[in-house]
Amino acid sequence: MPRKAALILSIGIMLMSAYGIYAATAWPWKAALFPLAIGIPLFCLAAVEALWAYFGREGAEEGAMELQITPPGRSTWIAAGWMLAFFAAVVLLGFPIAVPLFVLLYLKLQGGERWTLSIVITVAVAAIFYGLFDAMLHLPFPSGLLLDWLGLA
Amino acid sequence: MIEALIQGLFLVLQWKALGFMMLGVLLGFWVGLLPGLGGATTLALMLPFVYTMQPVEAFAFLLGMHSVVATTGDITSVLFGVPGEASSAATILDGYAMAKKGEAGRALGAALMSSLVGAIVGAAALALAIPVVRPLVLTFGSPELFMLAIVGLAFIASLSSNGGRGMLRGFLAGALGLFFATVGQDPQAGVARYTFDLLYLWQGLDLVPVLVGIFAIPEIIDLAGRGTSIAGSMPKEKLSAGALEGVKDTFRHFWLTIRCSLIGTFIGILPGLGGSVAQWMAYGHATQSARTAEERKGFGQGDVRGVLGPGAANNSKEGGSLVPTIAFGVPGSTAMAILLGGFVLLGLVPGPDMLTKHLPLTFSMVWTIVIANIVTVLACFLFLNHLARLTTVRGSILIPLILVLVFIGSYTSNSSYGDLVVTLFFGAMGYLMVLAGWPRAPFVLGLVLGKIAENYLYISIARYEAAWLTRPVVLALIAIAVVVIIYPLYQARRRAVHA
Repeated sequence: MPRKAALILSIGIMLMSAYGIYAATAWPWKAALFPLAIGIPLFCLAAVEALWAYFGREGAEEGAMELQITPPGRSTWIAAGWMLAFFAAVVLLGFPIAVPLFVLLYLKLQGGERWTLSIVITVAVAAIFYGLFDAMLHLPFPSGLLLDWLGLA
Repeated sequence: MIEALIQGLFLVLQWKALGFMMLGVLLGFWVGLLPGLGGATTLALMLPFVYTMQPVEAFAFLLGMHSVVATTGDITSVLFGVPGEASSAATILDGYAMAKKGEAGRALGAALMSSLVGAIVGAAALALAIPVVRPLVLTFGSPELFMLAIVGLAFIASLSSNGGRGMLRGFLAGALGLFFATVGQDPQAGVARYTFDLLYLWQGLDLVPVLVGIFAIPEIIDLAGRGTSIAGSMPKEKLSAGALEGVKDTFRHFWLTIRCSLIGTFIGILPGLGGSVAQWMAYGHATQSARTAEERKGFGQGDVRGVLGPGAANNSKEGGSLVPTIAFGVPGSTAMAILLGGFVLLGLVPGPDMLTKHLPLTFSMVWTIVIANIVTVLACFLFLNHLARLTTVRGSILIPLILVLVFIGSYTSNSSYGDLVVTLFFGAMGYLMVLAGWPRAPFVLGLVLGKIAENYLYISIARYEAAWLTRPVVLALIAIAVVVIIYPLYQARRRAVHA
């Protein structure tokens, strides 16, 4: 999997930097200087990494000083699904509804927690959200697009 | 001078000033804990309230608030892998790894104690440096500041991985960060670069959504995959027992803490680099302190030195960045620019007057930084064991809470859904980077330094053409960058020959 991830990343970076270099050639030199100065070496480094990832042997001494992560599996896709669902809920329903709804559904459906605990945590999160971000800090959280369309905002 | 120093202390200890400082500390404490709510934003929000205050009360309030934000920002980084502040992201690499090993208490103890040491060093630097700093700051023009950014990037890229391929990945990640920094309207010609006709991208990528995504999302996915608490099945006694150990670690590696504090102070003094750079430079220096390759491998896996370095630097930079603000009226960061607004509101003019007529007030700022940090660290230690136990809460309960924090933290940086898209995009990229064994630190430093480096490079070329490369300090910095790149390769080769 590290090899596959390195290949996806390096090929993605090659494509992105190639586009970046191409787009920069149309700009005045003041604007193009830095993107070209970075984009060209970035493309070359990504190409070397892609070749290394494809043909090379994964050396034990070459790991980054980073956290060790569990290999991807079904749980990775489920976690990603919940994040995207939360994002969709925020856009469609707005933070004030999406936050308690997401917490309750995650605790109940994914976590398998008891109803009492799920409701207590949801109410606590909703109270902190309204108390801190809305009442005290007056941060602007718009109502969701769905509520706007339905005229319920 | 001593008389002014004592006068400054008495000014801060007046009941009204002390009361306002405590109020500021209380606000800063929570702002630091919550991701997305930045210290600079809060300073701006609080600025109108200082109108009616005396200067000493106003600075006790504002600085008290601002100087503890970085301290409590480390707590969220260690416990949940979510940066409480942009300037406390580097603490995640080893702090969160320690929390996963059941050493949250030790990591928090180390982060808090090193923050206190850093704050004191920064404040001392502020007190001592004012008369001597002017020639130093004036030596650094745009070419030197550009090269300093490159040296910082070379440091972190070459030290955050092992071996030749590790270095390649380090530089690749750093260059990627620099490249993403070019998104947005360019400052010289006004061209909208890589914005795809999206207004959101015109101002460039905001640091907070990127940092929250690249660090928090992979950790959340990992936590979901493991199906346990952050600390896994570690014994509970170990969690609470470690706080004192963390404090001892600060003194075990005292000189490292001091050196990283000095790095933070120095970066703080230089205009335009800021706290987000200081922490990574300090992290790079901490990894460099490892004597063997084996020792260095422990970084990123939970080496306490990786917590001490950034912890010290992100607090000491406050004292440092106050030096040019007070002495020349040149703010070194956004927060200092806002503080400069406070000077104007109160009818004070930064410059020579602050070092002569208002010297006791200047020293009251030094004392505010010290006292506010001592109060915060003591308060944190009272709750430390309870905080550390949060890492034993089941993942299924923590994940939705952390995700809510991540989304709100990201959204509040620009109040745009674009922030959430950026967080998810960089979350996916961060996950792939961790999976592929690429270091994230050079990427973040590249992103932070990109705009600054571009600006300095452009000014250097426009002002000096190619001659900027021959300036003595630039040549010295190029030599340092070359040594930083070549030395680890030379070491690796020597080890291979001996093996």
